This record gives sequence, structure tokens and C-alpha cells, in this order.
Amino acid sequence: MMRFLLLFSRQGKLRLQKWFLPMTEREKKKIIRDMTTMVLARKPRTCNFLHWRDLKIVYKRYASLYFCCGLEDQDNELLALEVLHRYVELLDKYFGSVCELDIIFNFEKAYFILDEFLMGGEIQETSKQSIAKSIEASDMLQETMEEYMSKPAF
Amino acid sequence: MPAVSKGDGMRGLAVFISDIRNCKSKEAEIKRINKELANIRSKFKGDKALDGYSKKKYVCKLLFIFLLGHDIDFGHMEAVNLLSSNKYTEKQIGYLFISVLVNSNSELIRLINNAIKNDLSSRNPTFMCLALHCIANVGSREMAEAFAGEIPRILVAGDTMDSVKQSAALCLLRLYKTSPDLVLMGEWTSRVVHLLNDQHMGVVTAAISLITCLSQKNPDEFKTCVSLAVSRLSRIVSSASTDLQDYTYYFVPAPWLSCKLLRLLQCYPPPEDGAVKGRLVECLETILNKAQEPPKSKKVQHSNAKNAILFEAIALIIHYDSEPNLLVRACNQLGQFLQHRETNLRYLALESMCTLASSEFSHEAVKTHIETVINALKTERDVSVRQRAADLLYAMCDRSNAKQIVAEMLSYLETADYSIREEMVLKVAILAEKYAVDYSWYVDTILNLIRIAGDYVSEEVWYRVIQIVINRDDVQGYAAKTVFEALQAPACHENMVKVGGYILGEFGNLIAGDPRSSPLVQFNLLHSKFHLCSVPTRALLLSAYIKFINLFPETKTTIQEVLRCDSQIRNSDVELQQRAVEYLKLSSIASTDVLATVLEEMPPFPERESSILAKLKKKKGPGAVSNELEEGKREGGELNGAGERPGDSSAIGASNASTPSPSADLLGLRSAAPVSAAPPSAGSLLVDVFSEAGPAAPAASVNDDGFLRDLEPPTESSDSLLAEGSGDSDSAPPSVVSEDPAPPLPESDELLNKFVCKNNGVLFENQLLQIGIKSEYRQNLGRMYLFYGNKTSVQFVSFTTTVSCPGELQSHLNVQLKPVDPLVEGGAQVQQVINIECITDFSEAPILNIKFRYGGALQNLSLKLPVTINKFFQPTEMASNDFFQRWKQLSQPQQEAQKIFKANHAMDTEVIKAKLLGLGTALLDKVDPNPENFVCAGVIQTKSQQVGCLLRLEPNAQAQPGEQMYRLTLRSSKDTVSKRLCDLLAEQF
Repeated sequence: MMRFLLLFSRQGKLRLQKWFLPMTEREKKKIIRDMTTMVLARKPRTCNFLHWRDLKIVYKRYASLYFCCGLEDQDNELLALEVLHRYVELLDKYFGSVCELDIIFNFEKAYFILDEFLMGGEIQETSKQSIAKSIEASDMLQETMEEYMSKPAF
Repeated sequence: MPAVSKGDGMRGLAVFISDIRNCKSKEAEIKRINKELANIRSKFKGDKALDGYSKKKYVCKLLFIFLLGHDIDFGHMEAVNLLSSNKYTEKQIGYLFISVLVNSNSELIRLINNAIKNDLSSRNPTFMCLALHCIANVGSREMAEAFAGEIPRILVAGDTMDSVKQSAALCLLRLYKTSPDLVLMGEWTSRVVHLLNDQHMGVVTAAISLITCLSQKNPDEFKTCVSLAVSRLSRIVSSASTDLQDYTYYFVPAPWLSCKLLRLLQCYPPPEDGAVKGRLVECLETILNKAQEPPKSKKVQHSNAKNAILFEAIALIIHYDSEPNLLVRACNQLGQFLQHRETNLRYLALESMCTLASSEFSHEAVKTHIETVINALKTERDVSVRQRAADLLYAMCDRSNAKQIVAEMLSYLETADYSIREEMVLKVAILAEKYAVDYSWYVDTILNLIRIAGDYVSEEVWYRVIQIVINRDDVQGYAAKTVFEALQAPACHENMVKVGGYILGEFGNLIAGDPRSSPLVQFNLLHSKFHLCSVPTRALLLSAYIKFINLFPETKTTIQEVLRCDSQIRNSDVELQQRAVEYLKLSSIASTDVLATVLEEMPPFPERESSILAKLKKKKGPGAVSNELEEGKREGGELNGAGERPGDSSAIGASNASTPSPSADLLGLRSAAPVSAAPPSAGSLLVDVFSEAGPAAPAASVNDDGFLRDLEPPTESSDSLLAEGSGDSDSAPPSVVSEDPAPPLPESDELLNKFVCKNNGVLFENQLLQIGIKSEYRQNLGRMYLFYGNKTSVQFVSFTTTVSCPGELQSHLNVQLKPVDPLVEGGAQVQQVINIECITDFSEAPILNIKFRYGGALQNLSLKLPVTINKFFQPTEMASNDFFQRWKQLSQPQQEAQKIFKANHAMDTEVIKAKLLGLGTALLDKVDPNPENFVCAGVIQTKSQQVGCLLRLEPNAQAQPGEQMYRLTLRSSKDTVSKRLCDLLAEQF
């Protein structure tokens, strides 16, 4: 199973964190620090895999964002790369050529989309269509634009 | 501010995020956040009831602030309120907040559980999914208690929507991992297994993760999944890339599901059913074939997905380790990848090959790639790939290529990345020792190691070389000469000085005949390094000097002068000062006889497993060291001989006792254990030695002390040496005792008898541990799978198992253990494979010893491994005539064994037949004139010979219950076999 998924920028700013096992805030901070320093220090065109403690780290850069996940020993690294890619595709499909700003301003959506895709660190659904459909369905349950614009800003 | 995305947005939130982003400094950001927190707090506290939207917005802002890395200590209640909103969007944010931020505030959990319960029973699939996600995200014990009963029902109910099933399966998996005891399978086991047949690929993909985990823990209950998984896999592998619609990923049909199916199969041995196995082998071949086909797309996603399946298939082939043909193909495929232009593939190929290298079928094939791997070590630009190459070289090393590999690793060390040097040093040291044919090569290698990478040579490495030199007198002269030469270098590493000091102190006499290395030259050489060394090394050198005085009386005055000078005898370091004072006194007071006895040559160290191996394991974590190097006896640190040498009554031992200095490592203070064992009057013993001046009496104890413990590791590495003695010095002496394998349990004979007529079942169980067994035998070979289940929720550490063949059994049975992970998580089960070869017939059973620490306490358990001679039976069918003819041929008295015994069980013909078949013989029908009797025939296959056996069992079924008896007669061409079979079988009925 995947233990965690982190999205961070080239400057090391964390954009999304998902922990699939309970962890103390201290541990989380340590992992975030180790991951950003390790991954950001990697030279271009090196391989996408690292060993860290007893975990396999798989990461990939998409534009200004690094997607980085920690896997257990028996997990498949190549497939994890494609998990990251599928997640990027899902974000892209939802936001329409997704960029870092979309994820900053709509972080809750990024979490919801991830929840449709992964659960407890395992793949829940791989079909892009199915996931898009359920995200759309939940959006249908939300307010209309008019309702939104009439809400106070503070 | 970017355009608001579709659906719902929260304007206030977007404004706030914008503000934060516009902050020029960290201070400004904190100020803005504090302002916002104050605002939210006042809103939450305000009299006016907040509407759902505002609550949602503020909760979301709090979440954002938390994710920025700030602490949030309020708002939980508002989030919980959102859970019961009937507006989806509010509920969703509430759940997100809980998932990210919940702590184990029990009051809150109760409220959350209530909300979840309502949503689970709402029958609204979107709400149900939200609730399931929340359970999976939090996954606490309280939640498991509340929902572990409900979720299986949701999972298997006929009317549950597919998307809910997917969530339920993974949610259950999550709870099972936290609280396996609360997730009861029982009646729904088979329905869950049959989810593998579900029409909806998404459901199968989610369910298989659950099934894999459950199968690992309960292989027997879930074994029907094997054939289902094989047929599902076969359908996917043979489908065209368009068949599976959206489950095809870049022209690869269902890569996730395929990999998971292959992973599930790795929980089991190869399928027993020939048809299933054939189908699976076909699948694996197809996957290997597809790797050779031209790609359907140039996209990296295509090749990644395709190769992910390929690597998983190879992992399964390696796991089975029984199909030489597939193993060699797998190896060739990985060989291709070694030269692939994709760095990722080279990395993974190196990694997979490491496991292949430990298979007997493919070890040789892996070795053919040695040049490529060496080249990778030298030329790869990426350090993580180089590290894998070094791992592989280590794994493929054997006697035939050790010199080449060690040389390559040594030369790589000169330029290796700092991050991997220490590990490389350990590996070189291990290989050099393991494959040393002549020990001069070993000494050269280690000294080179110290020269090249002295800083990374840990204590264990130089302890080890000294120990080996001490134990092998053929290399002592060479070692002295080499180390003497090495010390000539103007700058040499301190570790070299340590080795030099120790070896010259012990064996300097062996090279003293040469005027170029006369005693004084040796001494001056050592002493020239003295002032540059650290305190522990200087202490060691002082010990070397006193040994010099003993070895070479001509150096006495020179050395005494050195000891006497202020920088020694008044050294500010108490340890050095004490040594100088005591050695000076010793050299001037003691007679030569006493001196010779006190400073006698070191006795050989007890031969034990290398401590370097333990160190490497500790460094790399479990599973990192290649199998062939593990012999099971991990805990035995080499150099901790002191634990077994109680005598502490000596001059130098006494000086230890009085010196709790930080340089303790040199004077044997491996924690305080050996010292505290010494009587407090140790000081007076010191006097005794000198006053009595009797050479004989104290000799024995003197031998054991200080110098030996010069080699004691410092405390921080003590736990690697003595895996079980970590830290707690008080308990050290008893733990030394208890580390010897415990005697077999009293009931172990009974346990053994349970398995005479069957191959699978639970061998042993107590409150902590369950041991299951599966075994299969063919000809004179057997393979046994042991499943160790941790029944507690606490992990077992230092979990080690060994199998020993007591006495003669060693030459009768060859038993090999594959290593097992030293860490067994709570609720987890680990599998261990044992290969057995029967060389000749045998009567005793091998002893399985299991050791682990549970909550700090050492558990030590020995059982008889149910390997009995009848396991190697080949059934033989024969006609009545043949049987009696042979029966007569085996008529010598010693060929027959007979027992008459009372029936312990009811005389049920079917049960008796099943047992006799389970014994492994052929049950011969219509052979005995009396139809009540049973006769059997079989041949026992051993490597050295075959032993034909005939068996006759005569029940007196007519007798009253309680008086029913059997007469059992065995005849075989070998007396020991008849006897053993008779004994074994007499316990079965």
C-alpha cells in the first residue's frame, strides 16, 4: 500500500499531503522535510525511485510540482508512477489543463478527487470515466454560481 | 485570484488564500493568519447561530491554515456539526476536516461515529462513500469497534452499488490492518473471495487488495482465490487492448488489476491443480513474450504499465522458484533491462536480479551479467542506481568471483558517494571473510579497506579482522608483517593504528627476527603515531606496550620511560593515567613468570557468526542481506566473548571496574555487565596477584580479561552485536544464558505425531504466536512452508528461527532455511520456506528454534519439526502374490518390527484408511486374506538408497470398546526404518 502522497513545488512548498496511516505531526514534518530535500536535490534524468528507511520512494515532476509517494516493500514502483500520472490526468480533466494555482486555490477539490481514486493507500478505481462521473455527480449536488456569487466574502 | 472553478466555491476562502499568497514575509503571513483565526473564533463563539455555508467556509479556512503547517486547536465541534448537514457540500467539508485533523478525542469520536452511522444507513451511495472514506482515513480502533461488523455486510449485500462496494472493501482492509481481531471473516469469506469474479472491474480492483491482505494472514481459508485469480488473470492477459474499455491504460489491459492478481498469487505456493498451474504458466509465458513485442505506443505510460506487469510476473516466478525454464527467461529479460536506456528499468532490473541471485536455478545465469553490473557501478550517473549495482554484486558473489567482485568494490570505494560508503565497507568485509580461501588475501583486503575508507570502517570490521588473525595461526606472521608495512605510511588511519597496535602487541615477535622490524623499530613505529591518536586508541597502544615488555624484555627500559613520563602517568584522562600507572607497576614489580602469565597470548575466540553481518542488517533494515549469507545465528556477536567468561579477577579487569570512563569501549565496559559481575573486592584481587606472585593460581582468570575486552564494542553498537541484549545491562547475564536455544517443549513429541499422517495444519499455538505448516514432498526432497502468525497487536522484533539437526541427524538430513524478516508486525503473518533433503533414513526430528522479543522480553521456543521418515514414501501398488513373496523375503528378525497396542481412537475403517494413505504408502486392496486387515507398501526414497517397506495392521474390531487392540507389523530392508515406522505409526491409531 501507499503510505503517503505529497505534492510540493520546486521551492519546497507543500501543496498537498495525504497520509494513509496515522502518524504524529512530528513524524509527518520529518517525512515532509526529508522528502523535499531528497527529491529536490536529485539531478534531472536520474531514476524516479529512491530508498528511504524501509520505504520505496517514487516521485515525478509535473511542471512546477513534484508528486512524491512512499510505498511499502512489496509495491510496484512502475505502477506507482502511473498512479501519480493517473492522478495528474484526473486533476487535469477536472480543472482543464491543471496548474499549481488550481491546486492551491481548490485544495479541497484536489483531496476529493484523490479520495475517489485512492483509499487507504490502495487503488479504489482506475477508470478515468468512472471517477470523473462521480466527481461530476457530487458537483451537481453543490450550489449554483448565482448562489455562490451572492454569498458574502467574509 | 484565478477564475473560480466549476461547482461550488467559497469566495471568502479564495480571498483569504490570495491574501496569504500576497504576504511578502513569514511574519506578514503569520499576522494575517492570526487575524483570520481571531475572526473565526469570534464567529464560532458569537451568539448568532452560523448558517451552514459560513460554518463550512470557516472550517475550510481552518483546514487551509492547518495544511500550511500551523496548529489548529478549535473548530472540531463545528466540523462535526457539518457532518449531520443534509447539504452534500457541507458534509463533504466536514468529513475532510475530520479526516485530516481528527485526534483521538474520545468525546468527538463518539459524535463522529454517530454521524457516520447515520450516513451508512442512509442508503444514499454518495453519503455512504463519504462515511466509508472517513472511517478509512481515521481508521482508529474506536471506529473499528463501531463499524467492523457493519461493513462486511455492506460489501457483500446484493443491492449495494458498485462504487460503495469498492469503498467498503478498502475501508474494511484499512480496519483489518489496524484491528485484525475486530474484523471477523467467518461466514462471508467465500463471498468476498468471489468478488474476484465480479463483473465490474473497479470492484475487483478494490476487493483484491482486501483479499490479498486476508490471504497473507489466513492462507488456508482463502486458498480458493488462487484458481479464481488465475482465471481472471488469464482472461485479462489474453484480451485485446480494447476489450476492457476504460480499464485499458495506454493500450495495456488493466495493469493495476493484473499486478494485484500476480501479487495475490505470491501469497501461495504454486497451484497444486495441474490445470490451474498450466494456465498460470501460460499467462506468465504470454507476459514474458509480450515484452519482446514492439510497443503499441511510444508513451512512457504504455511501457511503464506493461513493464510493471512484467516485473510483477518475474517476482511471482522468483517466488515459486520451481520453474527453471521461467527463471532463466526472467533472468534474460532482466539482463536486457540492465542495458536499457531508461534509468528506471535499469534500477528495477538490478533490484530484481538481487532476489534472483539467491535462487539455485538462476544464480549462475545472474552471474553471467557480472561485467554489465560492474560497469553500472562505475558509470551510472545516478547514485541510487549505483547502490543497486553494489547490492547486486554483493548478492551474486560466490567463491568463483569473490576476488573480482571484492576488488571492484574496493576500487569503487575510492570514489563512492559518502552516503553509501559505510555499507560498502561492511559488504566488502563480509565477502572477504566469507569467501577467503587464503587468509592472507583476507588480511590484505581488510587493511586495504582501512587504508581506502578508514573513516567508514566501523568497530565491528576491525574487531573481526583481529579475531580472525587470533584464531588462525597460519596468518599471524603475515598479518604482523603486512600491518607493519602499512604503518610505515606517513599518514595512516587511526583504525590502522588500532589494528597495528593489537596485532604487533600479540604477534610482533613473529617478525622481530628481521632487523628492519626489530622490537624497538616496531615500538618506535607505533609510538610515532601515539600522539595523533584519540584516547581510546592511545589506551589500546598502552596495552600493546605492556605486551611488548613481555614479548621483548629488551624494550622494557624504553617503554618504562615512556610510561613514566608525565604525559602518561599524569595524563588528565583518568583511563590513560590509570593504565600507565598500573602497567608501569606491573612491569617493575611482577616477575617475568607473572608477566608472562598475565600477558599470555590471547586465547582463540569462540567461533560464532560475524557481527558485521548483524551490523549490515541493522543498517539496511530487514531483508536487505542476501539469503545465502544468513545462517540464522544472527545474534551471536563474535567478540563479546566476555559474556561467557565470568572470571574478572585480574589486574586489568580490576582496573576496569574502577574506571567508569568514557573511553570504556577499550576496557571492556560493554555496558556495566561484566564489571558488575566482578566482586567489589576486585581491587584486592589486584593486590593478591602481586603479593602471592604465584604464577599458576590466577592464570586461568587472568587470561580472560581486559585485553580481550579491549575488543569489546562500545555501547552504542552493543545491540547489533547481541541482538537480544540491547541496552539493559542488568539483564545481560541471564539473557546470555537464555539465548541458547531452549530445549524442545515437552509436548513437542505429541505435536510431531500429529503430522505423521498429514502435511498441513497448525503446528503450534500459544497466546503470542501461531505456527502453521504446509509441506510437500517429492522423492527424497521436501519443501515446507512455515507460517508464523503474530497473534498480538505488538510487533515481534529480532525474530529469528533456526533449525538444528541434533547428533547424527546432521548427516542424515539436509535442512535449509530461507531467512525470515526479523520484524513481525502485530497481527501479521510471515512465511518461511524450508528445503529438506533426505540423505539417508533417520529417526530423530530436526529441532526448530524460534526466538523473538515481545515487548522487550525474550521468547525462546523449540519444537520438533514434523519431518519424519515416512514423508519420503513413494507408494507402490502390488498384487497379492507379490506382496507375500516380498513379505517372506524380508523375514530376518531385525527386518521386522512389531507392536501390539491399545486403540486410542474408535476403529473407523475410513479414518484408518485415510491415515495409512496419509502415511504415504499405497493401501493394497484384497491382498490380506482377512478383509479386516490393512496392508500397505511403499518405498522410502533417500539420496543414498531406497528402502522398500511393507506394512500390516490388524485390528480386533470385534472386541469391546476399551479393549480394542491393534497389531502392527513393519518389514523393510533396513532395520532402523522398520523400527522407526513402527514407533511413529503406533501413536496414530
